[in-house]
Amino acid sequence: MPVLTVATHKGGTGKTLICQLLACSLAGTCRLVVLDADPTGAFSRWAARAYEGPAFDTTAEADETRLAHLIAQHAETADLVLVDTAGFGNRAASVAMTSADAVLVPALAGEADITEAERTVRLTEALARAARRDIPARVVLNRVKRTTSLARHALAELSAASLPRLTAGLSDLVAYGELTYSGRLPDAGAAVAEVATLTAELRGLGWLPEARQHVGA
Amino acid sequence: MTKNLKPRRTEPDEALAIVTQLAPTLPPAQVPAEDRATTLNMRLRASSIDAIAREARARGLTNKQLVCRALADSGVEVAPADLEDRTPKRR
Repeated sequence: MPVLTVATHKGGTGKTLICQLLACSLAGTCRLVVLDADPTGAFSRWAARAYEGPAFDTTAEADETRLAHLIAQHAETADLVLVDTAGFGNRAASVAMTSADAVLVPALAGEADITEAERTVRLTEALARAARRDIPARVVLNRVKRTTSLARHALAELSAASLPRLTAGLSDLVAYGELTYSGRLPDAGAAVAEVATLTAELRGLGWLPEARQHVGA
Repeated sequence: MTKNLKPRRTEPDEALAIVTQLAPTLPPAQVPAEDRATTLNMRLRASSIDAIAREARARGLTNKQLVCRALADSGVEVAPADLEDRTPKRR
């Protein structure tokens, strides 16, 4: 499973946060490459200025042609190529979805998030058919309070649309905001369990490589 | 997907073609900035300007073409449009 693309046509759903969490969790345990296809460069800036963990390769590239070749090139040697994409429908994100082995679609509980998550999953299905191979996509809910009626409604909407989703999800935790400044994975509190549950589920799907220790970038 | 069998990969050109075919209206993630023409002013000795003008005339080029071609020949990434004679032609 070398290529995991994190994408949705809606902005502000936590794509970069999920890439940051996965990068923090996986760096040093596998050969990790993160490609930042979002022209805001949020992930690259974080990796260069804030991140403090074990080294990993990261490149910013929003041009779809160069991105397609970068993905293919790194997929040959990396254990995981993680692609962060811009939060609107664009060619680079679609190329990253077509080149992916799996697509993770973050969504908040709001109507626009669920609608765009569905569009992204449907586009992934169409791209997979055109590429004549399986590209599984799953929605992951972010900033959701599980006990609220809003969360239950969002889950019901996902089910009604037959959108596959992860059981794991992320809450609205201060620790995630702090990560964007500290560059460090939370080491206490609810975030630790949430991130562990997320990575375990992704690993169970075969979307993340098995952990090995002391692997350089 | 199994742990022992590698999945078929989509080649870069194939991925680009699929996206162009299936989602032709999608915009690029980033639109390149327009390469607009602007001015570069240089203070040179009159003799240098005369020499440039003489040489340009002899070669059938504009002063700008002569300078830009020399820069391009020395490895500077000069825009192709600046290597052409774009002087407005009188009727």
